[in-house]
Amino acid sequence: MSIKILTIDDSKTIRLIVAKAFKPFDCVVLEAENGVVGLAAASREKPDLILLDYTMPVMDGFEVLARLRSDPDLKSTPVIMLTAEAGRDTVIRIAQLGVRDYLIKPFKGELLIERVGRVVDLKPRAAVEKKHKRFDDPITILVADDKPAILAQVCSGLADTPWKVISADQPGKALDYCMGNEVDLVLASLTLTNDGAFMLLQSLRGYANTASVPLLGLSVRTATADQTRAQQAGFVGIITKPIEPAELKAKICRTLGLETSYKYFQQRDGALAITLPKEFHPGLAHEVSTNLESQLISTVDAGGDKLIIDLQSVESATLPVIELIISVIQAASKLSLRFAVVGTEATKNQCRSFQETETWPFAGSFEQALALLK
Amino acid sequence: MNDQIEKIDRLTREAVKEVFQSMLSMEVNPEPPTPLPADPAGQIIGSVGFIGEANGILYLYADMCFARVITGRMLDISEPEVDSGEMVTDAIGELSNMVAGYLKARLCSGGSPCTLTIPSVVRGQQLSVEGSAQVIRRIIGFRNCKHHLLAEVLLKDSAQRNS
Repeated sequence: MSIKILTIDDSKTIRLIVAKAFKPFDCVVLEAENGVVGLAAASREKPDLILLDYTMPVMDGFEVLARLRSDPDLKSTPVIMLTAEAGRDTVIRIAQLGVRDYLIKPFKGELLIERVGRVVDLKPRAAVEKKHKRFDDPITILVADDKPAILAQVCSGLADTPWKVISADQPGKALDYCMGNEVDLVLASLTLTNDGAFMLLQSLRGYANTASVPLLGLSVRTATADQTRAQQAGFVGIITKPIEPAELKAKICRTLGLETSYKYFQQRDGALAITLPKEFHPGLAHEVSTNLESQLISTVDAGGDKLIIDLQSVESATLPVIELIISVIQAASKLSLRFAVVGTEATKNQCRSFQETETWPFAGSFEQALALLK
Repeated sequence: MNDQIEKIDRLTREAVKEVFQSMLSMEVNPEPPTPLPADPAGQIIGSVGFIGEANGILYLYADMCFARVITGRMLDISEPEVDSGEMVTDAIGELSNMVAGYLKARLCSGGSPCTLTIPSVVRGQQLSVEGSAQVIRRIIGFRNCKHHLLAEVLLKDSAQRNS
């Protein structure tokens, strides 16, 4: 849920500056031009934070603060005073009424964000919006690694995506780029000199606009101590080297919550079609399982009663593939969906050799599978 | 007396430079005060008073052309987006408020109550302010490229106030 910030200031200029300062963040800025309007807005909207001017007509900031503190519903709402009144007497009066902080005008937008960020959890709007992004949307990935070969592996692994890969061979350069550009994800080598990856993580967490950029660590498979340390420090996951493209893509999708279901699920002719790709990878099982229930429910809701599992592209019906399909069929059977499998002769023969799969109804095409289920 | 005048001049220079730097990311440099160049769109004066241990009033003078530039920088919008009405008035009022706040905090540092008034803004052609003879009156000029700004401080002489 978005953070609600109420700015009570008689100056429209200041209200506009505040609203602009918080535009990059997932918050709603409510405005009130004086204390009376501000108190009414606070009662109605229950903001997470109030930015309060001191000198105002109608009712000054001091009185607003006193009334807030005497209202049981609002007394714990944090208040930051935003004032041109830098005098000691004013500051003492304000402090006595319990403000969380105060900012003397003139102030820089960055300072306002920093102070507010200490009181409420500011999340960049882009980070919230990206949860709704799809796999085929453009995203920006920064690779912080001083080894060109690793960068080449990442670029090659992601070549079939519309994602933009930026490289930085030093943590400082990576931080500079993140501060000036929208970055969705950072891949940082855990072997950067002087604990560079960990320093980068700390630096990014220190700024409100980069605090929620997720980091994945790049590490050789056997460096388990580094990997554990990274995850304890706040890395959301590890990509092991040599980089496996399918694993890389799956971890990026999972980290960014990218919508991938459209790649596998399709509602067609009253049936839910699940198409598995050529190569199986652990991320695939996760992506299918995550979206399965909602897709099955949508099918039933729309009047559908069939499930068709398309294995035509699958290279080999290995055990993990079979396990995935069994879990899909079990979930479908709970909603009374009937199923058929589309596959090549080779896949069909492989399935016939397992007790659990020998009775699966196979068809050569989607249309034949539909006919089979009529 | 001379010390007080020097202090007012120094604080005014600091205040205006600081406010322009922080809020507008704009450098202004002191220059000898000269009348503002004629602007067909007129002039604007923002004023804020401070009452308490020190009693005075600050005026900021600018022509409308510079006032629009200031407003655009303050709100981070392009100049054509600046409307000449409320937007400029409010921005100049707020700028005056900040400069006066800076001055007040340093002139009234003894701990006695001192309060800022609400900003007021006047527009017109060839505006000037007349102070009474019993006040200290200082005018500092500022320049940013082709633009000029005047900051005027009227301060009740502490000797007068105590009498």
